[in-house]
Amino acid sequence: MADLTVNGDRKEFRVVGKPNLPGELSWAVATGVAKFGADYVIPDMVEAKFMRSPYAHAKIKSYNLKKALAVPGVVDIVTYDDPEIKKFMRPGGLGGKPSPFITDTAHEENGIVGFIAVAENEDICEEVLRQIEVEWEELPNITDIKKGKEAGAPVIRPEDRAGVSSPFGGPPAPPKKGNVAISNQNQGDVEQGFKEADYVIEYDLNMPAYASASPNPHGSVAWWFDDPYLGRDNIHIEGAVWHASGGKNAIAQLYGLTPEKTVQEGLFQGGKYCDWTIRESQQITPFLSKRVGRPVRCINERKDTFDYMVSQRFMHLKVGFKKNGLITAFDDYSIADGGTPGNSFFGTSGDQGYGPYIGTKCKNIRQNMDIVDSNRGLMAFSSQFCPFNWDAITMAYHAIAEKLGKDPIDIARINLHGPDGQDDNRPVPSFDACIEAGKKLMNWKWHKNGAKRLKDGRLHGAGFRYQMCPRHSMGTDFHAVLEFRDGVVRLPIQGPHAGVFSVEGVAMIAAEELGINFEDIKIDYDPNAIFVSISGGADGLVNTGWVLKQCAHKLRAQIFEAAIAEADKPAFGGFGGGFGGFGRKMPPNPLKGKKPEDLDIIEGKIVLKSDTSKGVPLKSVRANLYATFSGCAPSPLWPAKYDLINTLYCEVAVDEETGEVEVLRYEAAVDSGKVIRRTSLESQLDQVAYNSQGCQLLEDYFYDPKTGVKLNHNYIEYKKAGMLDVTDVKEPELIETRAGNGVYGANGISHSMANTHLIVCAIYNAIGKWVDPPATPDKILQALGKA
Amino acid sequence: MADEKNNINRRSFLKNAGVIIGGGAIGAAGMTMRPEMAQAANAVKSVPKTVTQFRCPLCSKNFNSFAELKTHFKGDHPDQVMPTTTKLNINGEDCEVLIEPHWTLQRALQFKLGLTGAKQMCNRGACGSCTVIMDGRAILSCTTLAVECEGKSIQTVEGIAADPKWRPLIDSYCKWDAMQCGYCTPGFLVSAKALLDKKANPTEDDCKQALAGNICSCGTYHRHPTAIMEAAPTIKGGA
Repeated sequence: MADLTVNGDRKEFRVVGKPNLPGELSWAVATGVAKFGADYVIPDMVEAKFMRSPYAHAKIKSYNLKKALAVPGVVDIVTYDDPEIKKFMRPGGLGGKPSPFITDTAHEENGIVGFIAVAENEDICEEVLRQIEVEWEELPNITDIKKGKEAGAPVIRPEDRAGVSSPFGGPPAPPKKGNVAISNQNQGDVEQGFKEADYVIEYDLNMPAYASASPNPHGSVAWWFDDPYLGRDNIHIEGAVWHASGGKNAIAQLYGLTPEKTVQEGLFQGGKYCDWTIRESQQITPFLSKRVGRPVRCINERKDTFDYMVSQRFMHLKVGFKKNGLITAFDDYSIADGGTPGNSFFGTSGDQGYGPYIGTKCKNIRQNMDIVDSNRGLMAFSSQFCPFNWDAITMAYHAIAEKLGKDPIDIARINLHGPDGQDDNRPVPSFDACIEAGKKLMNWKWHKNGAKRLKDGRLHGAGFRYQMCPRHSMGTDFHAVLEFRDGVVRLPIQGPHAGVFSVEGVAMIAAEELGINFEDIKIDYDPNAIFVSISGGADGLVNTGWVLKQCAHKLRAQIFEAAIAEADKPAFGGFGGGFGGFGRKMPPNPLKGKKPEDLDIIEGKIVLKSDTSKGVPLKSVRANLYATFSGCAPSPLWPAKYDLINTLYCEVAVDEETGEVEVLRYEAAVDSGKVIRRTSLESQLDQVAYNSQGCQLLEDYFYDPKTGVKLNHNYIEYKKAGMLDVTDVKEPELIETRAGNGVYGANGISHSMANTHLIVCAIYNAIGKWVDPPATPDKILQALGKA
Repeated sequence: MADEKNNINRRSFLKNAGVIIGGGAIGAAGMTMRPEMAQAANAVKSVPKTVTQFRCPLCSKNFNSFAELKTHFKGDHPDQVMPTTTKLNINGEDCEVLIEPHWTLQRALQFKLGLTGAKQMCNRGACGSCTVIMDGRAILSCTTLAVECEGKSIQTVEGIAADPKWRPLIDSYCKWDAMQCGYCTPGFLVSAKALLDKKANPTEDDCKQALAGNICSCGTYHRHPTAIMEAAPTIKGGA
């Protein structure tokens, strides 16, 4: 009988929690033999490229292909008014409605518009696109969203976003005015909350736009083929990797095929963290291949390196609180970049239920958001940061601490509600555990703003933040499969390798439950497998891991039954003999006459619980077995529970003369509930450090105010943090309260621990001024009145 | 140690290799190696030594010789830049490629020689994902013209992986998860090897300096010095 409890009662772990169990595909990655979409080169292949708009907002009035069609090596030019492409709609998705694949209108500089060139190679594609004579009608653009919301601003997309409402519920939004859609969510009586307050503070949280994190150029290579089994007209596509439902199966759906008629062998996706959007370059290749009758490769333009972004947001916060630091009212007004058509709804509609305020005891919350259409770019999903910006409350705690002369950690503790919701006044054990570990780790001694100098004369500042663990993929059914064949446990699983080692995580769980070693699980990567493990040391694993754990229990029971049956009725040759044992006297099988409950598996051997020295090797069981389990961890969808907390800490030194900020320490005390694959969790914290320090000290997009042209598209012009720019998380404290709702009480941590204002808070503690990220030396000096 | 494990289903890799120019099945050369290392070795061995297909880059017509291609080019594409042949030395093997004169080394490696370890990422020399070693120096193959590499010795990550001497470095990278999505990893590994060629037992600071030109969007940075420093003393014969 499977163990169907939420957390299980396992106390001892042999496999789960171990560090340094290498990734199954790590050698393929390290040796360069792993092939990502952009790596595929197919015989007789042609290349395709989209025209990219030179304008931030423009419409094609007319065009002439004569010169373009005369370019040597041109194979095809697809125009926006081609009847075939007009029928080929791009599906809606995360924030978008179904839309024509290419249109005559560009909504951002460098955005896809008008034409697709197909030619013998990429260079010819570019030349073909250059030779298309286009008469453009330049349209007004908005890249400054504050100006875009002004009454007199040109309305750039009157039809979009009207009446936008949260896909997660919440009240319907009022009609759009001009460029602005409105998302308001209120609870309690905010004005009354301010009346009850002893103090009221106001501050701004300004978040620049950040580049998306995908390192690999998105794109695909596709061709059509006939097959004696699959029949006519099947697609082979490489590069449209995500787990099958979002990758090749989505391609199949787009082309009206069943999933099995779309084949993909590649296992490597590249970094795509909370970016669940499949790109045009991944969708279009089968269409083009059908037209030209040859394999087609379409890889995104890399001179511009980054395609999607994390959207800009300006927030103004007003917070009322009592003398003890208890917050009585939040008033949050923000102006958010609504981006271009298809922009993610995250961070731009109805997110109060997911943001930071719901974690506090305060019930008077007003959140008004103006979502401004723009020509700045597109946010794919939530990308690397928490889209609800929990640092609105991080800043509040630091500002209240300064006002009251109290430690911000104490302010957080008094405001945080208990695990069961806003009416629960109990402390959160997970929070307390993190704080205890974090304070010890940091030797935490809070001081008032500007009160501490280092020996070298620089100002010292400290910052702290907490965040709940998001519940990714909870509430979704997963279908786990384990096979036992030829004495070996096999895990058929889709992949892909996305960088979070989720396959290894669930394999560790299976090994744990089956009493075998991690190395003894044979992982069968198969894009057509039904089981997919979403996320690794982070979040979804707690659900997929839970499902696989139940599946492992079923397989274990089947193995016991089969082993006993084989002991009771030995096959020819008997136990240990096989064919070679004919005529020999076999040793008695210790499992004979036993019941499943009498047995256990230890180190790959089925043993008697009563005498673990007696047993048979798992490999000797001849039966072929197949166990399945469908379901999800019996847990509510985020955020009904508030059980696990993660904390981050940093210390900075600020040089008043130069304005330079040095991150002295950046540390984490996090409660993942239960560590599944330790190295994955540590790596997730590395990612947190990288993204957080980059965005708070280095990164920002710039647009030409007149033309709306983005001025820093790429790695040369846009500074991403390198090896020398990041202060490592040196001593992460990985706490295991087992209070989560996934497998073994796990809940992961999540890259949404990546934040935009922890270092900013530490700088505030050092110099007593708020500085918007990126906190570059010029801004620091300006804040100090020196520039 | 988990690096003794050898149980990955390689079906996909083998099939992938089958569709890649220059790719092929795992050969006898890799019998004692992990399959990936054998596959890297095979990729090195499979690099075409001579040009056998003289394909016009503009119209895809095939010719039997470079002379025929040149004649075709002069007749049919008189205003276009003529392709050229270039001799390269890749991972110790001489080979010849038919390319266009503006092609980068990265492009030649991927499109003509089937070597995909030097990754195209930024394509402008800013990220280090395309790093190879040329005459002992780590260089960026996306900003190096292939025709400039004639007469120079080029080592790619596949060549490093195929050499058993460097297995400890690769194993250490795997052990320490000095990779997440892995797209940039080969570039880091080549930079690491170039460092170890010069300094057998580098310090953490040495590693950081040597790898400062490699960008990892997953933020794996501090794992690389750990992996390199652990591997360094175990590299047979010294690095």
